[in-house]
Amino acid sequence: MSILPFSGIIIKLCRAYTNSQEDFEDYFQEVCLQIWRSKENFREESAWSTWVYRISLNVCLTLLKKDKKSSGHFVSDALVAADTEDTFVFSDESLNHLYEAIRQLSEIDRAVITLYLEEKSYQEIGDIIGTNPNNIGVRIKRIKSRLKIILDGKIY
Amino acid sequence: MEKSIENTWKEGFLKSDALVAPKINNLYNQKSIHITAKFERMAKINLVAIVVFAVIFLLITTYNGLLVLGISWFLILSGLVIVNYRSLKGLNKVNNHTNSYEYLVSFNDWLQNQLSMNRKMARLYYPLLFLTIIIGFWLFDAEGIPLGERLVGEVLYGFPDIYMVNGIPLLAIIFMAVIVGVLFLFGGKIYMLDVSIIYGRIFKKLDDLLADIEELKE
Repeated sequence: MSILPFSGIIIKLCRAYTNSQEDFEDYFQEVCLQIWRSKENFREESAWSTWVYRISLNVCLTLLKKDKKSSGHFVSDALVAADTEDTFVFSDESLNHLYEAIRQLSEIDRAVITLYLEEKSYQEIGDIIGTNPNNIGVRIKRIKSRLKIILDGKIY
Repeated sequence: MEKSIENTWKEGFLKSDALVAPKINNLYNQKSIHITAKFERMAKINLVAIVVFAVIFLLITTYNGLLVLGISWFLILSGLVIVNYRSLKGLNKVNNHTNSYEYLVSFNDWLQNQLSMNRKMARLYYPLLFLTIIIGFWLFDAEGIPLGERLVGEVLYGFPDIYMVNGIPLLAIIFMAVIVGVLFLFGGKIYMLDVSIIYGRIFKKLDDLLADIEELKE
């Protein structure tokens, strides 16, 4: 069981929760470490990929909470994303805009949209984030509308 | 072409460097520290558990008139704990290496020495533990007479022509000798089985990690 085939989506998830290359590397490393640590607890009750994504998401959310705590005050997710300077610069400008917008979503919505864009089924998205897959479709619609507002015509 | 969210996502990753995995040099150091620290912690807990067991066993056996058995087990188990505790202290010397691979190889060498030493010891202490059970119960006071002598008396009553050696039926001696022999021969294997139940997962992790780093090196 390797995480190599899923490293792409782990990278994309970690990028959705971090604003700088330094943070991204820390998150990615911690995700890899935690997957390795808990590998033996995998019980094949779900697909290996689902399990990997679930751990990745949990680690990202835990680290995000830690970062928020260490910043010493409570602010909404949207404000955290908007206030923090984004130091990621990809060569594709549209992707930069899209990531900036994704980082302004709530913690769970960032995971939902990332998994949706990676063409995961509603069932798998539901399994990963631990909600009823029936609501995923509506949620994605709502997230996309919000993204379009944030992107303000840059992407349709 | 329409710049939809989906297209931006797909094309963006194709065009840009956003999918480059970061270097995770420190990952193997963290994994190594995690493995060795976990092993050390488990080994210490194991030694404490043996001490606690030896003391409780000594109290129970003393209370029930099996003092010889209790003291014998206490001494054997204490010896085992002292040897392993000293050996565990030697683990600190393993810590002087420049990278995680060298560190893990040294740790693995130390571990193999430790296992080999304990395998040899197991061939002695398993038969000893068995013999002390026999001696302990043999000397157990059964209404003023040692239990062993009382049992021999019962056997002689039923089989008066049984062959005896120094007041013990030959068959019983052969039976005990066979068990002692089996424990001597398979003591190492029994020990390894015992170890694999407790430390099996951590040993597997160590092997996997070493194989991982070796593959990376190649």
